[in-house]
Amino acid sequence: MAADRALLDEVAAGASPALRLYRWSPPALSLGRFQPEDDVDHTACRDRGVEIVRRPTGGRALLHGADLTYAVAMPRPERAASVDAVYRLLARGLTRGLACLGVEAAVARADGPAGPLCFASQQGADLRVGEQKVCGSAQVRRDDAVLQHGALLLDRLPFDETDLLRGAADDDGRARLRVATVTLRELGAPVDARVVANALADGFAEALDLRFTAAVRG
Amino acid sequence: MDYPEQLRYSAEHEWVAADGNRARIGITDYAQDALGDVVYVQLPEVGATVAAMARCAEVESTKSVSDIYAPVGGTVAEVNQALDGAPEKLNQDPYGDGWIFVLEMSDPSELDSLMDAAAYRQLVEEQ
Repeated sequence: MAADRALLDEVAAGASPALRLYRWSPPALSLGRFQPEDDVDHTACRDRGVEIVRRPTGGRALLHGADLTYAVAMPRPERAASVDAVYRLLARGLTRGLACLGVEAAVARADGPAGPLCFASQQGADLRVGEQKVCGSAQVRRDDAVLQHGALLLDRLPFDETDLLRGAADDDGRARLRVATVTLRELGAPVDARVVANALADGFAEALDLRFTAAVRG
Repeated sequence: MDYPEQLRYSAEHEWVAADGNRARIGITDYAQDALGDVVYVQLPEVGATVAAMARCAEVESTKSVSDIYAPVGGTVAEVNQALDGAPEKLNQDPYGDGWIFVLEMSDPSELDSLMDAAAYRQLVEEQ
């Protein structure tokens, strides 16, 4: 997340647009920029070996570990391009990438359900397959640059966000989160992170009309 | 889209209502519309000194975090604490109850570098 933030600062200072695709080990619970730390059940996180990180973007708690995370830092397409306009642009990259994997995803409705867990809510920034969320995204803007990052669900961990947040661990909440989301494995799509990452990189390159010239493998 | 005549505007889509050495500041109707539903406003500290064009506050909408810049330099004299409990005021009344902070200006002549309503409207319409 700090590396994503650094990309934003570099692009704001004039660097070329950048795409970063990565996975998490150990798992981590990321909190929105202003989400209260009190939401977290620290004991539950420690018991499961889950780290807690703070995103530079807004939104709600999100568990990383079985996802592929993407981050795009780029100049704003125009000075005051709305948040939604940038989401729509990058959603084209994500949906094209997913289509290469045989997944027909669509942009979620802007007036979808809201809630304290990122993946239990849907908004115009998110991608769904049918009515189930498969990718959640968030943005931060600095000067003439924008960073958007998000998580694409490849698979599930043996526990979820409801186990890691105070007052959220009940069977109803767990069941609601489960039916609200879908993973690439459940869709029968490839879950190999390198295969998915290559598909997303191609999708972004096509949507943004960019050619990624340098690849750095971490 | 609303562009009150009596205000001055920055290219970063903040408005300034000047009264003597004091400047009340918020974001424009266009800015609140572009950001979407505001869910949190990180207010500056009263007493903090800010330079013109320095970052001094942050606005989180449902899916984005954006910086707010000081259109002019000065010392933060007041902040709109009501936004803590009701950040949606930025969307509902950007030029009224949705004001963000008041600066005691260090150099009121900096106002001259800001746009009037007609120039700001033109900037928005060109985008």
